[in-house]
Amino acid sequence: MFNLPTGNIGGQELFVLEFGDIVNYFSPYTAALFVFALIFTVLAIVSRPERQVDIAFGGDAYGAKEVSIDLMRFQRFMAIACGLATLGAMVSGDVFNFTLFASLVGITNIGIVAAYRNRHVLNAAFQYGIVAMLATVPLFGGAAIILASTGTLSMWELFADGVAVPIIAKAFLVLGVMGEGMAPFYVAKAEITRAQGAPFILMVHVSSLLLFLRVIEIVISM
Amino acid sequence: MSTAYTVGLLVAVAGLIIGFMAIVRERDDLHRILLTDLAEVLALVLIALVATDLAEALILPGLVVGISELMAVSEVYIAKEGLQKPHIEPAFHIEVMDSAPGILALILVAYGIVLSGFTGGAVAAVGAVFYFMCRDHAEQFELIETVSGYAWVIWIAAFFIFMFLPQYWLFAVMMAGGAILLKVMAKMSLVGTMRGGSNV
Repeated sequence: MFNLPTGNIGGQELFVLEFGDIVNYFSPYTAALFVFALIFTVLAIVSRPERQVDIAFGGDAYGAKEVSIDLMRFQRFMAIACGLATLGAMVSGDVFNFTLFASLVGITNIGIVAAYRNRHVLNAAFQYGIVAMLATVPLFGGAAIILASTGTLSMWELFADGVAVPIIAKAFLVLGVMGEGMAPFYVAKAEITRAQGAPFILMVHVSSLLLFLRVIEIVISM
Repeated sequence: MSTAYTVGLLVAVAGLIIGFMAIVRERDDLHRILLTDLAEVLALVLIALVATDLAEALILPGLVVGISELMAVSEVYIAKEGLQKPHIEPAFHIEVMDSAPGILALILVAYGIVLSGFTGGAVAAVGAVFYFMCRDHAEQFELIETVSGYAWVIWIAAFFIFMFLPQYWLFAVMMAGGAILLKVMAKMSLVGTMRGGSNV
């Protein structure tokens, strides 16, 4: 059988940031994810929205779609907020903080997607919003079961060898993150990818990818 | 684990199964929002079952996240359906509503500042509620939001003083007390704007 060294799956901690009993940390693994999220947050801050070109079929006429300044500002704000939430989720050393950051990513993803005034896009955003809301149930439920069975939420203690976290709590945690990070599957709908705003939509993909990577690290280490 | 926890967990899981089945069967979008909110309450129940001080501290962020998601989805629903608020005339208007609110609100707000903290916030808020109920409140609404935002920043700054400069605790207590006054007042005065209007 496989024999993973579960104690330090993410490597030794490089840097520790202490807020009272909530201790954030960087391991080589989470630091890499953090840098990745940071790069994309900076990209969201500096980039300008894409202006799509519509070509009239059968002729040689074309027109560029205008992106209104309000829409651009709202989406940029949501994308930056999404980046910050992702950064928080990457370095969090506390299970409940991680779940809070995960649901914050879910909220900002709804914001990014819902900025368009297009009925189909809004329909997809609405369905995603319902899923993201329902996902908070297993997300917080998983954290609560971890707290009830081990008496702590600190990853420093949960990652130790002697602490047994019930499998149902791990499953709930993964299920919750799946729900919150579901946005790319809705984004994959043609209506949303056809809408303008390319650099900000990217943030939806980046955040959910990083959330998945991080929750897998947490679940394996526990 | 105690029997009470196990029984509570079973009840919560039963509630979850019922709630999720209802969401799957429901076709009306508005009803689905409401049902999801019910399911979120069960997430809070799962946390509350732990019944320790830490669990108590976790309820509030859980609730805030749930409400903000509910608000985001509701906004999407409103935009999706293209709903607009109908214009509503004020229910009644009498002469004393023009003259009294200024003076009474001033007295109550001033007394609230003397009291400070939660109590002061509540007293000052009564003044603000009365003022907004009697007068037109369309303009002041953004002002309340701004004040509330600054109060939050002051409150957080006070906590940073508690953490990093504990020797200045009295200053931090004063800052936090003043900010709580503003926060409570801003939140409660929204009650006064609940009779319809363009910004509400």
